[in-house]
Amino acid sequence: MPDSFFAYAEWVELETFFAGYLLVYAIIYLVALNRPATGFVKTRLLPNLPLAYAFAGTLYLGLQLKNAYPDYTIEHLTAGVQLPYLRIWGLISILFWIPLLQKKPVFSLLHSLVFFFLLMKSLFLQLFTSSPGNDMARNNMKIYSISIFLNLGALILVTIISLLIARFNTQKRSTGI
Amino acid sequence: MKLLSNSKIWAVAVIMLSGLVYIGSCTRDNDLIVPVKLTQPFAPNRGTNIHLPGTMTVGDPTQWKMDKAHSSVLWSSNYIGTAGLLTGRFNQFGMHDVAAAEMLNYVATGQPLLDNSWAFNEANPAQTFFSGYVQINQSNTGEPGRDGGCNISGMGTTPIVAGTQNLTVTNLAKIKSTKVEFDASSNGYIVTFDLTWQGKLAAPLTKSIVGKLNYITMTTIATATPYKVFGLQLKFQFNCRDFGITSTSIADKIDIECNMNFNNK
Repeated sequence: MPDSFFAYAEWVELETFFAGYLLVYAIIYLVALNRPATGFVKTRLLPNLPLAYAFAGTLYLGLQLKNAYPDYTIEHLTAGVQLPYLRIWGLISILFWIPLLQKKPVFSLLHSLVFFFLLMKSLFLQLFTSSPGNDMARNNMKIYSISIFLNLGALILVTIISLLIARFNTQKRSTGI
Repeated sequence: MKLLSNSKIWAVAVIMLSGLVYIGSCTRDNDLIVPVKLTQPFAPNRGTNIHLPGTMTVGDPTQWKMDKAHSSVLWSSNYIGTAGLLTGRFNQFGMHDVAAAEMLNYVATGQPLLDNSWAFNEANPAQTFFSGYVQINQSNTGEPGRDGGCNISGMGTTPIVAGTQNLTVTNLAKIKSTKVEFDASSNGYIVTFDLTWQGKLAAPLTKSIVGKLNYITMTTIATATPYKVFGLQLKFQFNCRDFGITSTSIADKIDIECNMNFNNK
């Protein structure tokens, strides 16, 4: 966890958007393993995980653009960036909109692993080493919880949209439009 | 990559790890911040010596005599109130509770009154008391022009008369203890006493002062005829303006240090 306040704020943003994805992925993955190959989880949820991740990445990009408003020059966008590599890594998640990457959900898993590892490292240091206050650990757990809900929400939204699109396409084909 | 794609171990591990940190953060109490004790509380180390003057009979080792020749009453004050210390001593002093009837001029070269107005009990300060006095015109700064000049007029007294001990009211500053207590932070004692001095006032003024008394423990001096010594050191401050002293050569605050040595010869 960064020492500087501004770096910590950036770190919190990144963790909020990306750290919870791994757990959501793990749960969906485990559920899918015990379901038939044609089940909803396996056919709808699991394939949509990279899209949900890309959606979370897009939300993160949106937040950055909102923060930069109204000056979108490169100078302004890069000014004051404390964790440039981690930010770039986070923004790379948008690439999961690309159909080719969607077919490899494990890449999204690896991408999210970086944020999960950083959060776990920070939590373990706070929980299992001597520190006078528990507030930081509790705060990190809140961030992690929000991240899980955010990624879960993203998955639900993406799945609903994909279902609607699929239904629309089915109707389109059946009516022969 | 294959492990992530086909095995469920990693997924179980992620879920368990998340559960572990959730439980950890919910159940962990804040560490107690235990202050590190850097200094130990002061442990007094006082003895049980009792010293009394008695009748100050020479040769009686149970009776303690003030050794004036090896004692001193020192004063210091910041020169003109701000500069370095101006220091001096009183050549004539004693440990006697000078009564009004004893405030006289004595034709004598030494102190005319017995130094017997004191008692010291190391373990029981309530039993400790003392009185003392100085002759103001006997202040000695090493500058005869000052000591016999502006000091006399500035302190409201009269010049030294050779062969005379002037214990009259205008030349006498007295102290008399009213309470002696243990000092909690040292082996010494906190003393409350009255300081009586006329200074430049029309009549003597008595002010209650608090000072610090240290006991320099009894030691045997191994000579052909062994004897014992001990010391008492009293330090205090007072405001000379209280006593009408207006001299700008000295500061308001005057520091006094009394070093009294006693023996039982």
